[in-house]
Amino acid sequence: MKFKLKMLIVGLALTTSGAFAGNGTTAEHIEAATAAYKQVAKDTSYQWTTTVRTIKAARKALEAGDDKAARKLAHQAMDLVEATRLQAKIEGETWQMRVPK
Amino acid sequence: MKKIIGSALAGTLGLSIAFGISAGPVEDQIAFQKYYENRFPDTPTEDFANGVYSILPAAREQWEAIEEFPPYELAIEAGEEFYNKPFANGKSLADCFGADGAVRNQYPKWDSERGMVVTMELAINECLTANGEKPLKYKKGKITEVTAFMSFNSRGQKVDVKIPSDDPRALAAYENGKEHFYTKRGQLNFACADCHLLTAGNLYRADTTSPGFGHGTHWPVFRSKWQSMGTLHRRFGGCHKNIRANPYKAQGEEYRNLEYFVTYMSNGLEFNGPAARK
Ligand code: HEC
Repeated sequence: MKFKLKMLIVGLALTTSGAFAGNGTTAEHIEAATAAYKQVAKDTSYQWTTTVRTIKAARKALEAGDDKAARKLAHQAMDLVEATRLQAKIEGETWQMRVPK
Repeated sequence: MKKIIGSALAGTLGLSIAFGISAGPVEDQIAFQKYYENRFPDTPTEDFANGVYSILPAAREQWEAIEEFPPYELAIEAGEEFYNKPFANGKSLADCFGADGAVRNQYPKWDSERGMVVTMELAINECLTANGEKPLKYKKGKITEVTAFMSFNSRGQKVDVKIPSDDPRALAAYENGKEHFYTKRGQLNFACADCHLLTAGNLYRADTTSPGFGHGTHWPVFRSKWQSMGTLHRRFGGCHKNIRANPYKAQGEEYRNLEYFVTYMSNGLEFNGPAARK
């Protein structure tokens, strides 16, 4: 049962990032990363400064007219968001091991 | 799908109930304290209230010299003045916390009516706003002066955080803080427990990490690095930034629950704030 739920989550994650990797303007990619950051923070309370910084850098690059760099940064931010979600998942399952007994 | 999620939820519930039986807060606290006593057998138990200096003889002498002319003394005086200054309505903080404000051992506390942890800082601001005054900022400045005064007058009180057993939300808040303490966060993937428990006493860049046992006793702190006073939540934020985790809001639920757990773990030690730290 739990396994099925996991598959569902992985599936969802794959479809969203799959759609993301495709078309859309760079601005949309940046917005997608921003929304994903907020969603993970809301779902798990896990939030990395690095992601915030990378999103900011993407915005700046876009404003400066460097679409390629901005897009790359937006994708990096999305990767960081995915890593954050994974960290929350792993930690949620394993933290008890660290508690002194 | 509903069914799958439902049974997955039931599974986790069953699991947490099982854990609840095997280790409640009291057992947690005993095991936590014992861990440090075994790790640092030369440190007398009550001395853990002195943070890293309880395990670092090399730095202790310099710290004791600083504590002789404490850099938080002015804050205590300014705090006393503010404490007794009448509000526009003629009342003062003394109407909320008594003549000397020696109420440190009442916080953090569980408020069953609102179902939340109330810290001393939060209570101070609620006293101010209830009397039509402006609330203070939570990380540094005036708030640390007021808490310096109140903590100073509370020195010697025992840490005695309570988790009322008749309100499961209190235990949930504690568990939330506990989970926070033991989960790795930030891009650098560190848990509070990694630095302040498992490797307490190790060097991180230029700083040796203090034992987590004692983290709740001595606030506010005058920190040389800040060149000013700061609250516990300011410190939480600093540790989060160091591991590249976005700090949470000072006095938001996440940090209040973390303070609830952290201070509960220091139960039995004496309050000895304010204090000086590197
Ligand atoms: C990478 C290691 C590291 C991590 C992770 C870390 N800290 Fe710290 N922390 C330090 C260092 C270094 C200091 C300064 C030396 C000291 O007093 O421990 C410090 C200081 C503190 C202090 C002040 C101690 C005192 O005596 O005044 C508190 C409280 C604290 N940390 C709590 C936490 C909490 C809660 C977390 C998890 C949210 C955390 N820390 C995560 C390294 C860390």
